[in-house]
Amino acid sequence: MVKKYWSKIESFFELSFSIAKAEFKMRNEGSYLGVFWYLLNPLFMFALLFFVFSRKLGYHIKDYPAYLFLGIILFNIFQRTTIDSSNIIIRNSSLLKSIKFSKEALVFANILKNLFSHLFELGLFIILLLVLKIPLLGLIPYALVLFVFSIFIYGTSLILSALTPYIVDLENVWLFLSRIIWLATPIFYSIEGTRIAYINFFNPIYYFITIARDIMVYTKIPEPWLIFGSLFWALLSLVIGLLIFNKLKVKFAELI
Amino acid sequence: MKRIILAKVWKKFRIGRRRDGALARLISFFSGKEYKKTIWALKDISLEIKAGETVGIIGKNGSGKSTLLRVIAGIYKHDKGEVKTKGNMVPLINLNVGLQARLSMKDNINLCCSLFGLPKKKIKERFHSIVEFSELGRFLDTKIYQFSEGMKQRLGFSIAINCNPEILLLDEVFEIGDKNFKIKSAEKIKELAKNGASVILVSHEVEMVKKYCSRVIWLERGRIIRDGETKGILIEYQKSRNGFI
Repeated sequence: MVKKYWSKIESFFELSFSIAKAEFKMRNEGSYLGVFWYLLNPLFMFALLFFVFSRKLGYHIKDYPAYLFLGIILFNIFQRTTIDSSNIIIRNSSLLKSIKFSKEALVFANILKNLFSHLFELGLFIILLLVLKIPLLGLIPYALVLFVFSIFIYGTSLILSALTPYIVDLENVWLFLSRIIWLATPIFYSIEGTRIAYINFFNPIYYFITIARDIMVYTKIPEPWLIFGSLFWALLSLVIGLLIFNKLKVKFAELI
Repeated sequence: MKRIILAKVWKKFRIGRRRDGALARLISFFSGKEYKKTIWALKDISLEIKAGETVGIIGKNGSGKSTLLRVIAGIYKHDKGEVKTKGNMVPLINLNVGLQARLSMKDNINLCCSLFGLPKKKIKERFHSIVEFSELGRFLDTKIYQFSEGMKQRLGFSIAINCNPEILLLDEVFEIGDKNFKIKSAEKIKELAKNGASVILVSHEVEMVKKYCSRVIWLERGRIIRDGETKGILIEYQKSRNGFI
């Protein structure tokens, strides 16, 4: 019984990995700069925001460059993955119509692919930390944060990918909504001590970004309520995601 | 041993203006008028297919052949009735569309085998025989978008037969491709059937069905109208077709 269950999990991961690998190859096919394109976007964003805000909004923030860059790349992985996921079922319609395979693996592969490209951004961030002479102690707990964050993103991706075949507009709605969340999340500004802080209790990404900053930039232990909050959001999104996806997936092949 | 059992299976599609805007949906919601039409693509299908059998499915376009295959494969969920299958299922339904155009042949073999549920170790083992059977060894690093339809078909078929099919569903696989490959494939199908696999072949090409299927199922408007020995049914089928032309 246990063995059967285990082999199922194993084949799920194996399939997810090979889909992720294929997707990654497809994305970089024929591109001369390849993975450098992933770095261009966060770098440009960073340069722009830093140039504009370092003397205003970022003036009071300690180690503003690291604060800003970590915020950008963490939000980036969330935004990129969920936007990719929102049309993942429609994009793979021919595959889903011809072969029966785990549809969750398709969504999960997308997480893996984006986590992989996050590693390049993380590399840049580490260079930044070295330049700012911030110790790299936070890297190990950061892996844990990334893991929990991935669970949260996986849940959100499941919800989005399951709903889009039914509500086609959702893809565009999410494109718009994710921008609003970007603005609402303290990425290039700080909310400490202001009234907006309370709104961010309901912003899951706030928890993850704050925790990551605490351990990576300020090398301190994050407050317990932040840790519990992040676990809560990750579990909540995973449970809702699995429920919705399971209920809706049987009809995917007919709708696309 | 029975590999496939379908008992009174019904499948409906709601067709029509699904991609309508929000306004049209709202109006139809509040007016209570159903803006979709229900079409029964499969009506009351009952059939049993034993291990070792090679069954052909014939019928006009839109008669429900592909839908039937997808229901058997578990890609579509049936609305009524019962579907039972036993054995490793390998459906080859429009596989040349399932191949990723922007990936090389090598990567496509790896991906496709994974999707068919072959473990990594097994893929390595089978890789050689897939390439050999397809006779496309020279194109291992070529991207699929540069393949001709016939080549894609070859590749798809070669992958499918190497993924341990116990139930092999073939949807119009032999409409293109050259004669030599057809003969070779047909021999392979025979061999698989001999070893206990069940093969279902959907084809417009009556010749292929005539040659290799011992049993034929004739679908018309989602219903089975004939199920039995190939010869008699094919003659009747061709008669009815010529009558329409």
